Amino acid sequence: MATEEVPRIGVFVCHCGHNIAGTVDVERVAEIAAHYPNVEFATHFMFMCSDSGQQLIRDKIEEFSLNRVVVASCSPRMHEPTFRRVVEEADVNRYCFEQVNLREHVSWCHMREPEAATEKAIDLIRMSVARAALLVPLEVKTVSVEPHTLVVGGGVAGLRAAIDIDSRGFKVTLVEREPELGGNLAKLSTLYQGNEKASDVIERMVLAARISENLTIMTDSEVVDVEGYIGNFDVTVKNNATDKTEKLRVGAIIVATGFQSWVPEGIPPYGMSLDVITLAQLEEMKRDDKLLCPSTGKPPKKVMFIGCVGSRQPGVQGHEHCSRYCCTAMVKAAADITEITDEVLILYDDIRTFGKGHEEVHRSAHEKFVMFSKFDRTKPAKTTVADGALSVKWRDILAGDNLEFHPDLLVLVTAMIPPEGVEKVSQLFSLTRSADGFFNEEHIKLAPLTTHTAGVMIAGAAQSAKDSTDSTTQASGAAAKAASLMARGEVEIESTVAHVLEELCSSCHTCATACPYGAISFDTSKKPEIAVVTEAECHGCGTCAAGCPSSAIIMRHSTDEQITAMVEAFLMPPPVMGGGDS
Amino acid sequence: MTVAGEKIVVEDRKSTDTALVIGGGVSGMQAALDIADQGYSVVLVERTPSIGGVMAMLDKTFPTLDCSACILTPKLSEVARHPNIELMTYSEVKSITGTAGNFRVSVLRKARKVLEDKCSGCGDCVPHCPIEVRNEFDQGLGYRKAVYIGFPQNTPLVYTIDSENCIKCGMCVKSCEREAIDLDLEDEEIEISVGAIVVATGYELYNVANYRRFGYGRFKNVINALEFERLINAAGPTAGNLMRLSDGKIPKSIGFIQCVGARDATKDVPYCSRVCCMYGIKNAVMAKELQHENVKKVTIYSIDIRAFGKGFEEFYNMAKDRFGIKFIRGRVGEVSENSRNKNIIVRAEDTTTGKFLEQEHELVVLCPGILPPKGLRDTANQLGLQLDSDGFIHVEQPASNPVDTAVSGVYICGCVEGPKDIPDSVAAGSAAAMRASITLWREGEH
Amino acid sequence: MSGKRFEPSIVAFTCNWCSYGGADLAGISRIQYPPNSKVIRLMCSGRVDPLMTLEAFKNGADGVIISGCHIGDCHYSTGNYRTEVRFMALRSAMDVIGLNPERLRLLWASASEGQQWADTMREMAEQVRELGPSPLKGGSKK
Repeated sequence: MATEEVPRIGVFVCHCGHNIAGTVDVERVAEIAAHYPNVEFATHFMFMCSDSGQQLIRDKIEEFSLNRVVVASCSPRMHEPTFRRVVEEADVNRYCFEQVNLREHVSWCHMREPEAATEKAIDLIRMSVARAALLVPLEVKTVSVEPHTLVVGGGVAGLRAAIDIDSRGFKVTLVEREPELGGNLAKLSTLYQGNEKASDVIERMVLAARISENLTIMTDSEVVDVEGYIGNFDVTVKNNATDKTEKLRVGAIIVATGFQSWVPEGIPPYGMSLDVITLAQLEEMKRDDKLLCPSTGKPPKKVMFIGCVGSRQPGVQGHEHCSRYCCTAMVKAAADITEITDEVLILYDDIRTFGKGHEEVHRSAHEKFVMFSKFDRTKPAKTTVADGALSVKWRDILAGDNLEFHPDLLVLVTAMIPPEGVEKVSQLFSLTRSADGFFNEEHIKLAPLTTHTAGVMIAGAAQSAKDSTDSTTQASGAAAKAASLMARGEVEIESTVAHVLEELCSSCHTCATACPYGAISFDTSKKPEIAVVTEAECHGCGTCAAGCPSSAIIMRHSTDEQITAMVEAFLMPPPVMGGGDS
Repeated sequence: MTVAGEKIVVEDRKSTDTALVIGGGVSGMQAALDIADQGYSVVLVERTPSIGGVMAMLDKTFPTLDCSACILTPKLSEVARHPNIELMTYSEVKSITGTAGNFRVSVLRKARKVLEDKCSGCGDCVPHCPIEVRNEFDQGLGYRKAVYIGFPQNTPLVYTIDSENCIKCGMCVKSCEREAIDLDLEDEEIEISVGAIVVATGYELYNVANYRRFGYGRFKNVINALEFERLINAAGPTAGNLMRLSDGKIPKSIGFIQCVGARDATKDVPYCSRVCCMYGIKNAVMAKELQHENVKKVTIYSIDIRAFGKGFEEFYNMAKDRFGIKFIRGRVGEVSENSRNKNIIVRAEDTTTGKFLEQEHELVVLCPGILPPKGLRDTANQLGLQLDSDGFIHVEQPASNPVDTAVSGVYICGCVEGPKDIPDSVAAGSAAAMRASITLWREGEH
Repeated sequence: MSGKRFEPSIVAFTCNWCSYGGADLAGISRIQYPPNSKVIRLMCSGRVDPLMTLEAFKNGADGVIISGCHIGDCHYSTGNYRTEVRFMALRSAMDVIGLNPERLRLLWASASEGQQWADTMREMAEQVRELGPSPLKGGSKK
């Protein structure tokens, strides 16, 4: 543990190509950093995260016997794990590493003022150097991983993930809040992928799930509580039919809670006539071979689709995104029903048939004489109802004409939005959400399946609007992440937990009330009783330390001294040569 | 291709403990990592001298403008350092026989003429090499020596001597302190046994010169999108300074032409390439961002804008509203060159107004579509896989089993199934890893 | 300093999750804002001890921002409820010691709110510039 060694700090400033060096004078920044207290070495380099950059860090640690490393580069949310590993390879404890964010917090947001950006970079590095001097090595802990995965949601993504984990020989529990498995896919007719019937897909998967050896299916059930951490989550599942609860211990969790199809309640033309329906409702009719006008019960002769209803609306919260699956689903449905109707018309803005085979479906709709008209989403079509008959007027952008159509059935192709209860799920698993309301992945490009909560993966439409192919792809991928955890059997966890200094504790209980996890109890064998942190339960937020009136709680890796040192270094720069900006 | 040297049979591991991943792009790398993380061994075979694929050549990524190298390099090192992954770069799969649980694979290791275990990647040999050729990694816009690495993050960090251009002068051999260069090394063929296979050989870009009317190859200031990526990349041939190839000046007005070799049945590419709208917009934004003082006008000529993924539509709106990128809906008829200033004149019909447009740009970037990679048909034949009419690998049940092929034990990920962006390729890589590990688990003894 | 515009020094305590993500997103989206504020990354806004904030003012901060996840979205479930309570107490304390409470600001920012982050940094820089240097470092009495 903490050795009273003299800090020997190395500072490594990254150009990140042009990303940082294009704005910040990295050479000057490194030059100044070299003169800060305890800094033995400072340099700058094109890409610190590259192999040669990593080698440079390791070499300099050895050459200068560095025991603290500061890397000034990008956001630690991306590369802290990378650099922690690098310093560890050179025998420096991972908690003796400190990262300065010169990219997201400096060069990218102060691009037009390079001098001020450079000054800010200097300040930030000075602050981190001050903190680095006070960093303490911490023991790296590992915990065992329960060989059991929880999959939340029994739609196509949840099924895929659960079946895969079972086939890989691991125990898995699938929780679905509805009485039946299959989710939204079970409501569809024929899929545009491979022209397969959705019911065939679901039946095949449900069968595979039912005959599997290691898979437990819990329908009518919801997760109501999650405690613990990666490798050892304690999950409470409630059966809504019987009101009984069950506790499970799982090592990994896959959240595949899917989406709901938006119903524009109270927003015309929806509700103007029984014959105005959504694509989801049309799909159910098609599935049941009952494509009839709701008002008359007769088969429609003229059908009209309007695309992007509730999607792609700038400034409308939760509806700004493209729903990804609907263009292709719409042209597929339109092409299908040409056989039983006289006229089919599609109003669209862009036709986004982007995926494998989608353009072919699009083309087949044209070949089957589906009419396409491009309209302006910002000037919606006007729908009126007279004597029960629908009339839609709009302006065709390509022809520049005002057009009118009298559909028997008007199909609104509505957005995919997060399902009901998404807020609760996000709280249960500590997931953040993007502006479209879906869950955030760990990294939008290279880590689309893991999240910022270690051990919790996301898959399918829970992550963003998508079709079944993209959903099952993510599901198998998320299953791989869970399988890796379980196959390894153990995982490292953060050592950044709270610690009570016995002699300072005044047994006021403030910390215990502040702790969101009930991780603080009291040792009553001592007089007066003193607070004790159960480290496995502590998530490291530090709320207790902030509240403790006696300063009796040390928040490891985030101590009062470390934080205050940063504040002081910013506001009262030490009088060193070249240091400071004022 | 000469195959010399004796056949080496590697039999130090059980086939059912090992998977083969063909292709070291971002999808294949992810597949390798997710199999290896489960405790299985992986042999990752890559045709070029480095893993990283096309992503390594890109400057920024959409929709977050994250720099490609920044996010990719840690993955490169992760693969290179993983104890369960054996990297075979500059190598090609020659033949595959057998079935799930026991595939026999023959791999051609092309002679690098540099010993991988001795080379430290110092580059001391480079100044001594008298041969200069165009660097493929920079799309031929920059130069490299006959002894080279394509890019600074080349993984493994080992130099390669390109036999085609090397004159065997021996200068590099003398300059290498570690005696890592041996010009007499020959290709060798290695046989391995594996239990499961992941095909991740990626894609190829459409050759935009096939559209003669767009002037690529005839006019210097018509370039393709990957060339544009290299021109704005700090590690590229111009150190990130965007310039025209005719006179080195910063272009004040740039036109991007979409769907070049995509959604065009007359060129035998009827399908959408899925990524071009977004990389086109991204490049347009980058031009404005890098040179906001100079680049005044950026126009994108497109049919539909397919901004379908997470955060894409929002990015598209930002490009319009905040960066002032102009979007014109309409296929470009033709381009011509203004012989006086080498500017490019674009003629197109704006289909929303029906008006015929003629605009002069200082630089025009053609955004090519995606083709199946060369050799995919051979790989498919060897493995008994079916191809779709578009030339990509056929998937029987895309809705439920999107990375499975008709052959048990063989899985696919990334663009071999059809065009895909980075996150979709990464997710597919993980998915193929899962399916492959199930095969290994079932075929193995447990 | 004379002739130069007063550039306030602002300390921004942010949590590691939503608000640091929001600050990152502002950068990723290239949204520009003034460079006056310097971020100190903590795991949770609940980590911010009121004494630390007062210490910052004592050391010469012209403004302090405490930033965390939206109520209900806290990565640590309820950590930020504490933040809010402590913030209110702090503002009263500031009034007592003669510091304008406007020098302290609480910002709830989610990881998708890069624009809000940038807007707040801008507003805060302008507002504190208006108030002038902190009286605790011998500036004007505001």
